[in-house]
Amino acid sequence: MSIRILAALAIATAGAVVSSTAAAISPAELQTSLAAEARQADPAFREFSAQRGETFYRAKHGGDWSCSTCHTDNPAMPGNHAVTNKAVKPLAPAANPDRFTNPEKVAKWFKRNCNDVLKRACTAQEKGDLVAWLLTVKP
Amino acid sequence: MNRILVWDIPTRIFHWTLALSFSVAFLTAESERWRDIHVYGGYLALGMIGFRLLWGVIGSHHARFANFVRGPAAVIRYLRSLISDQPEHHVGHNPAGALAIVALLVLGLGTGISGWMILNEIGGDVFEELHEGLANTMLAVVIIHILGVIVSSRLHRENLVGAMITGYKNGHDDV
Repeated sequence: MSIRILAALAIATAGAVVSSTAAAISPAELQTSLAAEARQADPAFREFSAQRGETFYRAKHGGDWSCSTCHTDNPAMPGNHAVTNKAVKPLAPAANPDRFTNPEKVAKWFKRNCNDVLKRACTAQEKGDLVAWLLTVKP
Repeated sequence: MNRILVWDIPTRIFHWTLALSFSVAFLTAESERWRDIHVYGGYLALGMIGFRLLWGVIGSHHARFANFVRGPAAVIRYLRSLISDQPEHHVGHNPAGALAIVALLVLGLGTGISGWMILNEIGGDVFEELHEGLANTMLAVVIIHILGVIVSSRLHRENLVGAMITGYKNGHDDV
């Protein structure tokens, strides 16, 4: 029966989901891999700057949105979705320990949100600067 | 051969509205700027699928699941006949088309429900992966469905896209 084919399809999808769920990492481990990526892009790369990260977070980058449009001026506070007005959980790890612990989720949301704000992908330098600053934000 | 009404109006409106709502939801998925349109597309698709499940029981002859959903043996027999001299012809949905319909309804239902769960933050991150996986699988089935329509239209020398617009096909009404 076609029901059996669909059950197989559902199991295959569930399997793909489970196998794609990577192990949790710490934001520090994320920074290590972003640093390696930044060094590969630019051999002159030294370190990430929290100050540059804050400037990046608040800037509009030529468009009408900044990171703070949804995540608010204080990323330790809950935000508001600019279109749906739905609550967005705090972005700073000190206020929300789940942030920056799932590499796939980090990659997915940087891709989406960088396109929304900058209309391009973010560089490893930009991502690392931003995370460096977010790690200094206290609730 | 007579010109006969095969697809009733609700079936046709359902078909094109589902096609439109899935396209809109798929194309608006990658940006937060279109999040509200994406969600409306999803709700519209869910509503349409809910209607179709009901219409599959109470609709007119060719819309009812009992009159077109067939087992794998019938699907294989039909697909084999396509490469033979005498391709099997069905006035209503052919067995392979029927399989695509059931798959699209189930995938659409799963995509819509998982999307609603993400929107309301029920169930966690795994539903984001599931939502994307189901939607991508649905797109693959849509492409197979369209290819099937093209192949079947050529082999049987009939315009299946036109039939889904006007509701009429040429055939012997064996109902």
